[in-house]
Amino acid sequence: MATFRCFRTGMLVNSSILTCRNTISKQVVRNANKKPKWLSAYLKEQYNRRLAAGPEPERHPEKFGCWNYDCEIYAFGKRFGEEFNENLLKQAFMFSSYVENERARREDLDINLDTDNISIEDNEQLAIKGGEIAERYIKAFLRHSYPLLFEEGICAIQKYLMSDESLHYVASNLGFKDLIKTMEYPPEDDKYCTAFKAVVGALAESQSVQRAEVFVKDFVLPQLIGKDINEMWEVVNPMGLLNSLLTVLGRGAPEPRLLHQSASQTMMAVYHVGIYSDKELIGRSPGESVTIAEEMAAREALKHLMKTSDYRPPLPIGKQAENIKLDYEKKNISLEQLSQKLLQNSEQRITSGIS
Amino acid sequence: MTHSTIPSAFLKNVLHNGVGRYVCQLQRITLSFCKSHGSSRGMRDFIENHLLEFTNANPGVVVYLKPRRHKAPRIVEAITVHNAQMDEICKWVEFMKTRSGEKILRLEKKWHTDNPSIQGIWDPTVNKSTSLNIAEFPSEEFSKFIETEQSTTEKLRELAKNIKNVKMRLSVL
Repeated sequence: MATFRCFRTGMLVNSSILTCRNTISKQVVRNANKKPKWLSAYLKEQYNRRLAAGPEPERHPEKFGCWNYDCEIYAFGKRFGEEFNENLLKQAFMFSSYVENERARREDLDINLDTDNISIEDNEQLAIKGGEIAERYIKAFLRHSYPLLFEEGICAIQKYLMSDESLHYVASNLGFKDLIKTMEYPPEDDKYCTAFKAVVGALAESQSVQRAEVFVKDFVLPQLIGKDINEMWEVVNPMGLLNSLLTVLGRGAPEPRLLHQSASQTMMAVYHVGIYSDKELIGRSPGESVTIAEEMAAREALKHLMKTSDYRPPLPIGKQAENIKLDYEKKNISLEQLSQKLLQNSEQRITSGIS
Repeated sequence: MTHSTIPSAFLKNVLHNGVGRYVCQLQRITLSFCKSHGSSRGMRDFIENHLLEFTNANPGVVVYLKPRRHKAPRIVEAITVHNAQMDEICKWVEFMKTRSGEKILRLEKKWHTDNPSIQGIWDPTVNKSTSLNIAEFPSEEFSKFIETEQSTTEKLRELAKNIKNVKMRLSVL
């Protein structure tokens, strides 16, 4: 009140200054605009208490009054242009901790759980189903796109796409945060991942497995844009792998050659190593020492042979992928199969040598 | 504030939106207004005339209506549409609907790519022949002037040759 009065007097004085400046003494103006003595201490105390209390905890929008879960669930499906069974979609967002809490609450209220129409089941089964659909589809899609990449590489890319980190990023950007039903808010990172898989499972049960696969293709696979897929699969011995691959392909053994070197006695030393097979350059790379350059060149050659070089065409996502027919049974060659072939080849050679 | 102190960002898009399929990033919108006050007139008109049309066209957006007595009308507590006309509110709602979902910041450039160079980073050995490694200098081969364009003398010579050919052909006829 005091502040208000003070402000008002100030206004009055100011307006009177404008009208009859000469009649008001400077003394009056100074007193009128002066803040009360207690105000600064009061504000300082308020500020310190705010700091001591810490930041506000993040609260669910429900707490602010405007929230209708049924509408949100309806809009969630419509946003992606999918027809969900709403009960299944609700189940996909429900976690066991919430379900247990809800059951206990209903028991307290003497609601019979068996005759109750509102089902409360957690999303575990849906998540398992959705996870399987997503894994199967992603692998088949990658095998179709990279037919020469080793099976281990395909698995590594699939694992990256379906890692907690990646799915958390996807799900949080698709608006899962407020819909997930757990006891804590905001939900933990792994909850997003499970909920995403459960939504895929719910979509498969609501419509068809094909629709669920299209959902995975549209939202999970674009995560590969701008990523280096060769980094995802760690090749321990690239030169050994290159050697065995070339032998199986019936080409000459890899031959590393130093192409260029510069500033070799300095901190900025650079060596360019090229790898030749049958006098043909199959990979080259720079490196700060000859061994590093050789290893990197072997990796380049492998990328070249597996057709996963940096200049490969982009993944057919979106409209281009509509007419792709995937073979779910076909698998790419694995490292184990490669070594078996290598063994067979060497055995044949030995037997032919003896005869 | 100077240009350099204003926070800036590169052009980006939520989840590569539109690569797979386009998803409207507006999830929910709250329209708060007063049922009687004059400043909410435009908002009330919007609700009466355009809201159903909007919700039918955008089933993915949840609309909450929040009547608040004698308060200024707002859209999502962020945009005050005090005394605004219905058309203006239509524009604000459309603006919210077509947002990308990223924060509005000053753009460093109006385009962005994850792969700035297709052919890789240039270094002194790019396109350098390895035959230089074993060449002895001064070398005649590498000392030659490399002509990229036809010289005028050569052009004239070719022209003269063509004229001769035409004359020969005419004489034969």
